[in-house]
Amino acid sequence: MKPIRIAIQNKGRLKEESVEFLKSFGLKILNSDRGLIGKCEGQNVEILYVRHGDIPVYVQSGAADFGIVGANVLNERKFYVKKNKSLGFGKCKLVIAVPKNSGIKTISDLEGERIATSYPNSLKRFLKENEINASIIEVRGSVEISPLLGLSDAICDITQTGETLKENGLKKIIDIFESEACLIQNGFSDKEFLN
Amino acid sequence: MDIIQKMFEKFGYVPVETPILCPAETILGKYGEEGEKLTYNFKDAGGRGIALPYDLTVPFARYFAANYNNLEVPFKRYQIQRVWRAEKPQKGRLREFYQCDIDIIGSKSLICEAEIAKIIVSTLLELGIDDFKIKINSRRLINAILKSFGIPDSKVTPMIRIIDKKDKIGEEQMVQELSNIGVENGLEVLSRLKPMNSNKETMDKLRDSDVSELETFMRYASDLGVDDKWIQFDPMMARGLDYYTGVIYEVVSENSSLGAICAGGRYDDLCSMFCDQNFSGVGVAFGFERIMMLLKERMLVVENKSCSNVLVTVFDESALKKSLSAYNSLVEAGINSEIYLGLDKLNKQFKYADKKKIPFVVIQGPEEILAKTVTVKRMDTGKQKTIPDSQLVEYIKGYYEAN
Repeated sequence: MKPIRIAIQNKGRLKEESVEFLKSFGLKILNSDRGLIGKCEGQNVEILYVRHGDIPVYVQSGAADFGIVGANVLNERKFYVKKNKSLGFGKCKLVIAVPKNSGIKTISDLEGERIATSYPNSLKRFLKENEINASIIEVRGSVEISPLLGLSDAICDITQTGETLKENGLKKIIDIFESEACLIQNGFSDKEFLN
Repeated sequence: MDIIQKMFEKFGYVPVETPILCPAETILGKYGEEGEKLTYNFKDAGGRGIALPYDLTVPFARYFAANYNNLEVPFKRYQIQRVWRAEKPQKGRLREFYQCDIDIIGSKSLICEAEIAKIIVSTLLELGIDDFKIKINSRRLINAILKSFGIPDSKVTPMIRIIDKKDKIGEEQMVQELSNIGVENGLEVLSRLKPMNSNKETMDKLRDSDVSELETFMRYASDLGVDDKWIQFDPMMARGLDYYTGVIYEVVSENSSLGAICAGGRYDDLCSMFCDQNFSGVGVAFGFERIMMLLKERMLVVENKSCSNVLVTVFDESALKKSLSAYNSLVEAGINSEIYLGLDKLNKQFKYADKKKIPFVVIQGPEEILAKTVTVKRMDTGKQKTIPDSQLVEYIKGYYEAN
């Protein structure tokens, strides 16, 4: 029989807790530290370790039956997957932050400014809802350093504890949404998750 | 129009254009009495009879008949051109307007009908119209039903023309007109044709006649992802044109009085009027002006907006070099822009942008040039932002692109 495949993060803030979550169902994952596919002892289950943003892609195409992914990824792009449930870990927020001494203090101050982000769609939606016109500068990573380099006036990024923001001389001014890890499955699949 | 054209190409239709001035005999005699009256036709200086296209289907059938040896059959083409009708101009009814047509010639498969329904739904949704119904019916079915009432063949076409007027005249007058042409059981026929609450009920009511054509069509359409909610089976919908023989469509927007925004159907015999072979065709025309009126009513398009997103102002002669270079980098990056053509005061240049509703103006005066910066002013809020001149393109793009 075809194994049940579950896609989780290969590295990053959700990986450990995703593995713990799966173990709580009695799965004995054999090689969780290396390799792209982890087998499970005594069970016909395979764990796929993939890039965070690719998890919904695997699930919507049916290459994986289930996935554990942050809600922030699902908010950013439309995927044909259904959310099975929220998992209560991996909590974080998508926020807008500015340099400590910035004149930008409220949403309306963002009008006409440059905001760097790896979440352009979520940001665009937020700005539109608040009737703000601003220039969205899309960057893939290390968003926090962009104001320092004169590339942007504000950033929009995920934060958990706010440490990284602080380290880069930034302060949060607005919460856009809260995110946590979710269990997702293919939009056409009605498989039961490990029981 | 761009959206419509892209959608047609997405489904594999190729563009074709046909002549505007047609020999009168190409156009005349295809549409029925009403259409014939509305066709422009005249004699040219050499005394030849000329007609202007009343729709795009007939000129295309003529084109296909002359060229089918060199075309892949079945042939799928789209055509976006003007047509002419000698009407009294009124809201949604013009003498000269655009039709956007798709047709498939050379296949009798009902996949064609389903595909056309799919394209109608995809296109209208893409345009932002989501309150439409595709009314469908079949000429074959009407003919069969009329026959079951003992209506002779000779009366079928005149009857269809009367039924087609159902939205303009009431039931009583229809019965009267039917009686005028010698059909005495008009009321019974009409009640038989009346649609029920759902497509399924209507289908079940008419099951004594052969409804398999419409059923198959609807099944294919559903498998192509066309939700049943967009489709309304209306056995009384007739389409006045004579050349239809099978499935017919008419699309209306439910919250508008504009009438049909798309219409079309299957024509088995049109091509054989132009060549000795028989090719069945099916197609639909989108009425461009009516769709635009609908979009304007709903504020989905803004009128008279300039195409430009940016006006690059020119501070003075010495700043011109920088302005031209900024203008060049914007257009090279694919941003719709223009440069102010002259050396007027900045205020006058802003007014120009304001009038043309250009959202951004770019300013580079001596200070900016010295600091290698550029100031971008948003015309609606008046807010200005000075950024390094190397970021100009990214900054403007940041407003429009995020995907």
